[in-house]
Amino acid sequence: MLAIRDLHLSFNGNEILKGIDLTVNKGDVVTLIGPSGTGKTTLLRCINCLENPSKGEITLSDLQLNYETISKKDILKLRRKTAMVFQQFNLFKNKTVLENVMEAQIIVQGKKKEEAYKKSIEELEKVGLLDKLESYPSELSGGQQQRVSIARALALEPELILFDEPTSSLDPELVGEVLRVIENVARSGVTIVLVTHEMSFAQSISTKIVFMDKGVIVEEGSPQFIFEDSNNERTKAFLNHFKSNQTVGV
Amino acid sequence: MDIGYMIEIFPKLISTLPISLLIILTSSILGLMLSIVITALRIKRIKFLSPILEAYISFMRSIPILLLLFLVYYGLPVFFSLLNLNMNDLSAIVSAMITLIIFNGAYLSEILRPAYLAVEKGQHEAADSLGYTSFTKIRKFIIPQMAPVALPGLGNAVIYLIHDTSLVFTIGIVDIMGKANLIMANSYGENKVEVFLTIAIIYWMVCLLSDRFIKLCENHTYLRKIENKRAFNSQSLKLHQKFTKRNIKSNLD
Ligand SMILES: Nc1ncnc2c1ncn2[C@@H]1O[C@H](COP(=O)(O)OP(=O)(O)OP(=O)(O)O)[C@@H](O)[C@H]1O
Ligand SMILES: [Mg+2]
Repeated sequence: MLAIRDLHLSFNGNEILKGIDLTVNKGDVVTLIGPSGTGKTTLLRCINCLENPSKGEITLSDLQLNYETISKKDILKLRRKTAMVFQQFNLFKNKTVLENVMEAQIIVQGKKKEEAYKKSIEELEKVGLLDKLESYPSELSGGQQQRVSIARALALEPELILFDEPTSSLDPELVGEVLRVIENVARSGVTIVLVTHEMSFAQSISTKIVFMDKGVIVEEGSPQFIFEDSNNERTKAFLNHFKSNQTVGV
Repeated sequence: MDIGYMIEIFPKLISTLPISLLIILTSSILGLMLSIVITALRIKRIKFLSPILEAYISFMRSIPILLLLFLVYYGLPVFFSLLNLNMNDLSAIVSAMITLIIFNGAYLSEILRPAYLAVEKGQHEAADSLGYTSFTKIRKFIIPQMAPVALPGLGNAVIYLIHDTSLVFTIGIVDIMGKANLIMANSYGENKVEVFLTIAIIYWMVCLLSDRFIKLCENHTYLRKIENKRAFNSQSLKLHQKFTKRNIKSNLD
């Protein structure tokens, strides 16, 4: 359903992504893990054309594009099939919760108002925020904002939803509520590509784990394979580092 | 002080107000439009254009507006004649407008650019990722978020613009200042203070009017809506507490 071939990207002459190949099937929950600065966020942003790769191809269902020749129109098409949930939520500050979820349906998808309203209510109910319809983002906690941003993404019924460390800028006590919502999204069969440092969460919800290091995919496989059975030194070093960090933290 | 005299000249002075208002409105609207174009070009950082724009802005900020007015009024016809265009009858009013438009095009862009940069990158990215076209994105999210940042500065700029129009009499326009000079010449330089005081009051009124307009715009920004909501909530909370207290009291009685 999503296929990326030989993706290269540089920032100011530094090659950050060095030939990424990634396949995601319909209904998959693919989680990207790896050390900080490895290019996970950048890869996710390429899928949404928020970055400008120097080379590579992307196929998303019936859309097949080459990054070197991509046009503005293609970019819009690609973006309209996907939705992104950001680490910093990025809710529209000048819009209420309801407007945040409703507007893109009307303006981007051309839905009727009543229809968009119904869909918005439905999605906001799923994330438990029906009592905040008229609130502005600045009046919400981080966890609530992130749940609204998930509702905003889901309301567009994207073929693919991208999460970039959705819980990393949340206070620890708010992480749980957002993870539960993402879990429900995953269970509903939406195709997901997720970047997270929550290893146990990744292990429990993913159908596939992709381990990246220094701009390349080192290996990928089932959670069982990556977390338990991998023989790769880099993977094991990364996961061990994580385990020891976590035990120190606890 | 002759208040009777002030009341007598007031209608004469105010009769020239339409000319001042015409210059103020045209220059602020067209100046704002020019500044939007200039801000957009500056933000896009076009290689060849950037240094030219920076030079233009620095020039406009550096020279006194009176000098700019003379440069345009006396200079533009010369400039056009070099291009073999006949512009000898460039009217004073048009010169005044051109002066204030090119000045404000630069000056307002110094207000708009920081306001644009104050909108977080994430707001752009969210709209982009949802598939908004850049035009809709700017209209729906960027301008509304720039507004509360830019409006106080724009309000001041309008006040400065109103002040600046008091110079256009120097190229022969009979606006309020021009009329005042005529009145004073006719009365052989007597009652000067009364004349100046009357104009001061007229300028004050015009500025109050423009302040009201800016306040009106500010009341429509999203930040003000959030503030109002908060104030309303805390007020209704107070009311609620008051009534519940009263109920408790009456129950006790
Ligand atoms: N806009 C940019 N300009 C220049 N360099 C950038 C930019 N964005 C990212 N980088 C660099 O690209 C590399 C990859 O960054 P990226 O954010 O994709 O890493 P990541 O794997 O998501 O890390 P983390 O786990 O810390 O979020 C980093 O070295 C970063 O410094
Ligand atoms: Mg990242």
